[in-house]
Amino acid sequence: MALGEGAAGSIVPQRFQARLKRAALVVVAALVAVFVTVPVYVMVAVAVQSPTAVFSGGDVNLIVESVTFRNFAVLFQETNTVRYFFNSLVVTASSTVLSTALAVGAGYGLTRFEFTGKTLAARVVLFAYMFSPIVLAIPLYVIFYTLGLLDSYFALTMALTAISAPFTIWLMWQYFQTVPIALEESAWVRGASRTRTIWEVVLPVARPGYISAAIFAFAVAWNDFTMSRVVMSSEEMYTITVGASLFLDRVSIGWGETMAVSLLICIPPFLIAVFLQNYLLQGFNVGGLE
Amino acid sequence: MSTATAVRTRLGDLDERRLLLLATFVPLVAFFTVVWAVPIVYALGMSLFAEPTTAPSFVGLANYLDVLTAAEFPLFLWNSVLYAVSTTVFSLLIGLALALVVNQQIRGGSVLRTMMIFPYLLPTLVVIFIWQFLFDPNIGVINQWLVSYGVVESPVAFFSTSRWAMFAVAVTSVWKFGSFAFFILLARLQAIDPNLYERARVEGASTWQAFRDITLPHLRGAILIILLVRGIWMFNKFDIIYLATGGGPLNVTTTLPIRVYELAFNEVNFGGATALAGIMFFLLAAVAVVYFRAFEPEKEVAH
Amino acid sequence: MARPIHFDTVRKEYRTAGTTHVAVDGLSLSIPEGSFTTLVGPSGCGKTTTLRMIAGLETPTDGQIAFGEEEVTDQSPQDRNCAMVFQSIALYPHMSVRDNIGYGLKVQGVPKADRDDRIDEAAETLQITEQLEKMPAELSGGQQQRVAPGSAFVQDPDVLLLDEPMSDLDAKLKSELRVEVQRLHQELDATVVYVTHDQTEAMTMSDQVILLNEGRLAQFAPPGELFDAPVSKYVAEFIGTPSTNMLSATVERTDEGLALVGDGFEVTAPSDRFRDRVGESVVLGIRPQYLSTDGGRYGLVVTAEVVEQLGTEFVVHGHGPDGTPIDAVSSAFGDVDPGDRLAVGFDAEDLFVFGDDGRTICHGDALAADARSQPR
Repeated sequence: MALGEGAAGSIVPQRFQARLKRAALVVVAALVAVFVTVPVYVMVAVAVQSPTAVFSGGDVNLIVESVTFRNFAVLFQETNTVRYFFNSLVVTASSTVLSTALAVGAGYGLTRFEFTGKTLAARVVLFAYMFSPIVLAIPLYVIFYTLGLLDSYFALTMALTAISAPFTIWLMWQYFQTVPIALEESAWVRGASRTRTIWEVVLPVARPGYISAAIFAFAVAWNDFTMSRVVMSSEEMYTITVGASLFLDRVSIGWGETMAVSLLICIPPFLIAVFLQNYLLQGFNVGGLE
Repeated sequence: MSTATAVRTRLGDLDERRLLLLATFVPLVAFFTVVWAVPIVYALGMSLFAEPTTAPSFVGLANYLDVLTAAEFPLFLWNSVLYAVSTTVFSLLIGLALALVVNQQIRGGSVLRTMMIFPYLLPTLVVIFIWQFLFDPNIGVINQWLVSYGVVESPVAFFSTSRWAMFAVAVTSVWKFGSFAFFILLARLQAIDPNLYERARVEGASTWQAFRDITLPHLRGAILIILLVRGIWMFNKFDIIYLATGGGPLNVTTTLPIRVYELAFNEVNFGGATALAGIMFFLLAAVAVVYFRAFEPEKEVAH
Repeated sequence: MARPIHFDTVRKEYRTAGTTHVAVDGLSLSIPEGSFTTLVGPSGCGKTTTLRMIAGLETPTDGQIAFGEEEVTDQSPQDRNCAMVFQSIALYPHMSVRDNIGYGLKVQGVPKADRDDRIDEAAETLQITEQLEKMPAELSGGQQQRVAPGSAFVQDPDVLLLDEPMSDLDAKLKSELRVEVQRLHQELDATVVYVTHDQTEAMTMSDQVILLNEGRLAQFAPPGELFDAPVSKYVAEFIGTPSTNMLSATVERTDEGLALVGDGFEVTAPSDRFRDRVGESVVLGIRPQYLSTDGGRYGLVVTAEVVEQLGTEFVVHGHGPDGTPIDAVSSAFGDVDPGDRLAVGFDAEDLFVFGDDGRTICHGDALAADARSQPR
């Protein structure tokens, strides 16, 4: 280290500078970490403690001393939470499958077949991607109302797929660009039919792409409030987001129960963040989702 | 004999190819027609009628005029712009700062990266619950701190005072959407060739000069896209504002999307609602033209 | 069973946005069965398109392709019993090396046990037995390159097509694989067509070389013939390193008959071939290897600019009196420095004479025979 240190004078400032920079980095990182984690921690702390423990003595006590499932118990007794979750699961699952399947087919076709108007098609997809869900929700509501389809899983699935599909299509379209056609050609030359090649080569190779697409379709459907608020009108058809949004209006539901339901809603996204993070980041790299 | 086989296989191949073509394009076109083209055309049609759902009568552009000349329209437009610009700029700044930090490969950088996913993945409703709790005047942690450190004398009901409602909604939105800018900028930063920095150091550039001359130019495109696309999305945002304040108090957080919802479902004025939606549609179309001209994003898939 | 490949006036056009690009134009030739034929040429000359038409991945716009007696012009790639090694290697990332190699057999419905036997055998030949159970991502670039021909090996194709399979490799690995590919050819009963832009590969490996120029056939001949008897200036310039020197000259009538007169030399020309060309300008081609400091009937002064050592030989890059770039290769140039003027000599028998249109008028042996009969 000391060897070859020609300008001995510069060594101190340089080290000092590096240390200063490092300190600044740590401070920024710590601040953001607090900004991001504290709200999440507060949710968990309120959810797993009894309200009396949290709100004793006028101050909010956020140090978890004893864990209780009391809030969850109240939630299940007093509300239709189970039903709401069931509804959410049904529409989320069907919309995720539909959106992903549509995206895989469209992405493959748009990439592999030559046609005029590709630019236009790309712009239509991107335009739809930037569209406001509420602007789309109004005519969809009227159309579904006219057709007598309001308040049905089918209608909500279509509406949710409408807002997730532009991005999943865009993602798969980009993904298939990275899949070399030589992989398919090599299968054809070896005697595999086009259909067989799709099943045995294209789909397995596209797996990371459509897992990303599925995650985003899932996130859109699971997070959705707008579409289910508009499309679902009877209480037993509410999804969990719409159902839970009305909890605080009730006398029997307090912050403890609200945070408990929040915690439950967070479980699927949390699992994705932990286990499927890399697929998710891949999606961000092609433009992210709302 | 050989010609016959050739013709047969060629037809077979063509059939399979055509089948595949149909299998990929028919669902795509059908879907876009049913859930996008038809509703948009339908909505634009409805916007030309009074009471389009019950007793339609053609009124031309009267709905548009009503919406545009309404006394509160400038306020709603201003709220939309204010909300979109402030949340976009702050998410960009926070995302940029953190992306620069994580890119320095400090210890815990990957943990930080994972943490940044949470706000983005938490459903909007949950985010609202959390921030309503944090900002609550009676039991909210933030108010307790503010009062105990003497910043304010008495607790502030952030979401329900007209002075602070927009601020509270914006903070909540930045918390949820900041990671969008973070992840895009981080990906761009990681794609910069490290040799460029080494060259700059060899040539005597300071940290700041290297940032200004290498990092910023590489991020320029991403920053512009974030400003534009995130800006459009925030302008169109409905759920987070609706859930936080419902547009109140006294309309200070009523943006155009909120107003569309109110017109349709509170005032049952579908003519007005679709006219306002039409205005938003044309605004978006105008911005989209700029976006397509300036960035040519379709180049990524269509050559 | 190896099959000959016949091209009959094959043409391939690509239409994009109103413009037509002709990739291959009027190609007619027959590749003998069981031969090792190389398709060579600069990038964009249509060699990959030609290969892909043999595989059935592209359909000719016009003309016919036949394997032996069977016309295959419109046959789909699935029905041709070709094997192809792609430039990008095209290993399936989701299959182990074993499954990659055996995929063609699986498609053909060969039972698993049978498949495994053949894969093991091929792996031994290619020295990749240790890699068989790995996934492609675990292999180095060189290992992947070794795996790629494996599938061709187990499949027993009639025609084996290789599309620049070594373009990204370093020199050592390249020479190793070159041997591997030749062994593959010996062991398989297949007609091999090999695409490359590297003429060294073409010249060292193949029985026949097809040299293309902008979609047209420039010359189709064994490598030696391509080197010694190019049919055009294009061929003479493309084949051989450094490139053939081109000296301009004019056909003139002198006291002793006809001569090709250039800047500083005068080469006697046979009257039967040049009688009608008096006054025309021609180009004399001379390979750098045939310029020597000792001997040579005709002389040339070269001003050296750069001297490179290539093993035991030295390459002098310089220019002639009129500024024409001239390269010379010899082991005797060790003490040449830039700026030195060298007197080099050449013999008429090593020359190629090209007309204005770039076609060869005659090779050196014709000139030399003539020169012997008419000593100056």
